[in-house]
Amino acid sequence: MISEYNISRNRGGNGLFGSIDIVALGLYALIVVIGVFCITSASYDPDNGGIFSLSHNYMKQIVWVVISWVMATVVLLLDRRLFHMFAYPAYLLGILALLAALFFGREVNGAKAWFELGGMRIQPVEFVKIATALMMARVMSDYAFNISRITDLLKVAGVILLPLGIIVLQNDTGSGLVLGAFLFVLYREGLSKYIYFPAIFTIVLFVVSFIFSPVVIFTALLVLFTLYSALKTGAIAGHFRFLCGMLLAAMLIAMFTPLSGYASLMIVCGIGAVLLAAVALKTRTMMLLWPVLMFVYAMLFVPTTDMLFSHLEEHQKNRILTFVGLVDDPQGVGYNVNQSQIAIGSGGMWGKGFMEGTQIKYDFVPEKHTDFIFCIVGEEWGFFGAFIVLSLYIALILRLMRMGERIKEPFGRVYCYSVAAILLLHVLVNIGMTIGIMPVMGIPLPLMSYGGSSLVAFTLLIMIAIRLDASTSDNDIYF
Amino acid sequence: MNDSGYVRYRILRVVVLGIGFVILARLFAMQIVDDDYEERATSNMLRTEIEYPMRGEVLDRNGEYLVKSRVCYDVMVVYGELPEEGFDTLRLTTILDMSKEGLMKRLKEASRSPRAATLVVGYLSQDSKLLLDEGGFSGFHTRFRTAREYPRKIGGNLLGYVSEITSRQLEKSEYDYYVAGDYIGTQGVESAYETLLRGEKGVSYRIYDTHGAVKGAYNDGADDVQPVKGAQLTSTIDARLQEFAEHMMEGKIGAVVAIEPATGEILAMVSSPSYNPDLMVGRARSANYATMLHDQRQPQFNRAVKSRYPPGSTFKLVQGLIGLQEGTLRPGDRYPCNNGYSYGSRKMGCHQHASPLDLRDAVAQSCNAYFCYVFKDMITNAKYGNVKEGVRVWNEYVYSFGFGRKLGTDLYGEGTGYVPTPEYYDRGYNGRWNWGTVLSCSIGQGEMGCTPLQMANLAAIVANRGYYYVPHLIKKIEGRDSIDARFYERHYTMVDSVHFVPIVEGMWRSVNVSGTSRQAYLEGLDVCGKTGTAQNPLGADHSTFLSFAPKDNPQIAISVYVEHGGFGSAIAVPIASLIEELYLTDTICRPEMLERVLNFKPNYARYDKLQREYDAERKRNN
Repeated sequence: MISEYNISRNRGGNGLFGSIDIVALGLYALIVVIGVFCITSASYDPDNGGIFSLSHNYMKQIVWVVISWVMATVVLLLDRRLFHMFAYPAYLLGILALLAALFFGREVNGAKAWFELGGMRIQPVEFVKIATALMMARVMSDYAFNISRITDLLKVAGVILLPLGIIVLQNDTGSGLVLGAFLFVLYREGLSKYIYFPAIFTIVLFVVSFIFSPVVIFTALLVLFTLYSALKTGAIAGHFRFLCGMLLAAMLIAMFTPLSGYASLMIVCGIGAVLLAAVALKTRTMMLLWPVLMFVYAMLFVPTTDMLFSHLEEHQKNRILTFVGLVDDPQGVGYNVNQSQIAIGSGGMWGKGFMEGTQIKYDFVPEKHTDFIFCIVGEEWGFFGAFIVLSLYIALILRLMRMGERIKEPFGRVYCYSVAAILLLHVLVNIGMTIGIMPVMGIPLPLMSYGGSSLVAFTLLIMIAIRLDASTSDNDIYF
Repeated sequence: MNDSGYVRYRILRVVVLGIGFVILARLFAMQIVDDDYEERATSNMLRTEIEYPMRGEVLDRNGEYLVKSRVCYDVMVVYGELPEEGFDTLRLTTILDMSKEGLMKRLKEASRSPRAATLVVGYLSQDSKLLLDEGGFSGFHTRFRTAREYPRKIGGNLLGYVSEITSRQLEKSEYDYYVAGDYIGTQGVESAYETLLRGEKGVSYRIYDTHGAVKGAYNDGADDVQPVKGAQLTSTIDARLQEFAEHMMEGKIGAVVAIEPATGEILAMVSSPSYNPDLMVGRARSANYATMLHDQRQPQFNRAVKSRYPPGSTFKLVQGLIGLQEGTLRPGDRYPCNNGYSYGSRKMGCHQHASPLDLRDAVAQSCNAYFCYVFKDMITNAKYGNVKEGVRVWNEYVYSFGFGRKLGTDLYGEGTGYVPTPEYYDRGYNGRWNWGTVLSCSIGQGEMGCTPLQMANLAAIVANRGYYYVPHLIKKIEGRDSIDARFYERHYTMVDSVHFVPIVEGMWRSVNVSGTSRQAYLEGLDVCGKTGTAQNPLGADHSTFLSFAPKDNPQIAISVYVEHGGFGSAIAVPIASLIEELYLTDTICRPEMLERVLNFKPNYARYDKLQREYDAERKRNN
């Protein structure tokens, strides 16, 4: 394994461009070109100027592609130390831009997260991703950094949570979620896996709490954890008696007191948890303590979710409720997703052909050239096209991770992983949204969605990674 | 670089591939496995539009329009497509010619099903439709319709009308062709010839975008079906004669049916009171319909084919013919009449006339006693064994004349009339009855019930000397060589042609020599006739007359029936005679007779009383 790992760098040629990762660059370029084709399909209107008229969205996008590639060349020509140096100022600038947008920005779709410059909209959060990735890399590549140390961990948490906080204040939760991608990086950098169990548990609880009533959830958890503990310790009979006792007690309380079933269950579980915790501490059986703690957490979390949920904005509530299937309203909130799924689903194996997608052509899919651009792939190129595009993304992500692994020093690795993680989250959430396995969150499909600032930002994000990777073989750059 | 880092790299790679796999699996399920999405994509953009054809028109026998079609439109609204910022209501209400309140009421109804097209108002003219289209009122659509027009405004319950199909009809499989909102012929010719008149609906598949704008034909229109225009029908009705007859029947309750004996074609058919068929077209239709529904004279009830009138003395013709055929009567037989016919303690009265009479004069003078002998002799004929069997044989004869059953015409709602049977008397008299019980049938009274159509058909049978063609209203269908085969078939009665000679002679004498029908005399036309004065328990006698002319080579056979009109000669004879005069000579040379007919107003106190009671009842219930 080690050997495979070490020979991963094997390039001919000298100089910067000889050492650039052609695979990553190629994947990037392919995705961008496919994106332009999709935008063309979405926006070509024969009644509106010539094929090359700048009034078409795809022509504007082509202009942005050219701009992006010029910037990419510049980035690739920059000295890698610059990125190191720029981490702090870029991060600071990013935070300031976010704050400026929060106070002076323009509100779009309820999110106060945009600047408007001469008819062009820029969302600072696109660039904050780069800044935060650089900042993460900078902080975590410090020679004294140790992820197991609580102060260092807090430092990292601060780097992520500061922009996240501002983004949430901007009411742009979808974009904020992208910063959650850094958990991916932190895992690679050795963050204890025990952080992830509660995180996953929390997400599951969150979704489940919308679908089932608390009584059902608690009863299910009670059974589940007791079963887990029983299998783990082997004392099946004892656990069974414990479980029956709990449920019986809850039922008796519910029957003979004015308390509701929910309250009775909570009381019984509370007492049971305390008793179990006491037993666990006394007998030092930590195996027993784990489920108890998780259960108590759930008991606190589920009611809190309800409370938090009531503070969400109406459209956010609706999006979540639609996603978990509690609201079935194809003409209302679910309309976009419904139409998007029809578009993709109707594509079949080979699709309906370029500019032949009826869902696209006749405007049934809203935001078809921005957030829902994957519908064009799905409808016009079918499963075949969707498979290709998805494969390109996955390949690019895996390539970035591999690049991160082969960079010898942590700055580059953390940065590459950050880019991979940001791409992964975007792809998962965006494509997931168009096929109905993710709630609707207004985040673009990287490199394909129409929009200059998004394309430029992702280009810079990826090019910096390629530049850092290319530096690995630069003998001259070492410090 | 450490092993832990490398292991985690491997794990994260699996996570990335796992996410890719989940998305791919979902895509596979949606795009390859599930076909539902394709249908939904198609139904998203496709709208099936029904294209309605023009409804067929109806001409009279001389090529004049009885029913015309004109293009009009229903205005529909899809509430969900109304612009949020509102629209110019003043302009719209002006174009649609409706009140703002009315419009708001319809919009409110439409808001209950915001995706469905809901009717706002019907009968929009073509010009107004263009104005509406120019106005660009989004959410408002029009639906092609055919509205009916009636140049002479005649034949209300003869022609029927067109109305929206009811939800109850739609539940039945025989109405599978229709969808809610479609029009369907109701009553009369419109109903009887619905499948020909309606044509065939076309269908077009259009592509629409999400904003509701047309983007073109689906599949280049290859699946579209062009609508087929409804067939034009040529009626047997003579519009001028029909109008004249209706005019004379104004203010009278009853019916007139005139038939061309040689073909069975109905020349005129009046049920009075009738109504102006234009009342059943347009926006005021439902109000007019309600008014008619509450009218106790029942203008929508086609008396000519549905009612059961006692035929009175006109039925003596049938009795005479049966007697002759059965051999119980010879033309020269004479019977005495002492102001009637006494049997047991009962007596069948008669009017003052010379006595005794032979068959010809008995017909001409309409002697009641004579036909009591005729009928009694026939049913008590020893060869039948008993009266019951005699009546049964008599039944068969009467049925062969088209009484007591449907003739099988193309008329909507044809009735059967009623001929009493032995079983009927068994039930009514507990099996204990004799020839005296049924004697009132001899002069067309008692349980006998006939439709005016059946009586006119009897006139045609006599005119033809023994056969008839099934009376019908449509003689030609556009695009077809012939009408239904049953209308070309001669139906013979059970009485031989030769026996008609003395009967026809009697009818001729009644008009031309001496008898009850003298008013019907028309010089050179050899009119034959038989009057009837039908007693009834409801009030004054019904006046009826049965006639044909000329005697040889008859052109027209006619039956007139006026409820409570008194003697047959009082009103039925002049009406029939004037119709014959107009039809055969194209002129009216007896204006004073016409004047008398028009001014003749029977006493309908019975109907007026019914109406008062009905109105009071309605008022109480409201």
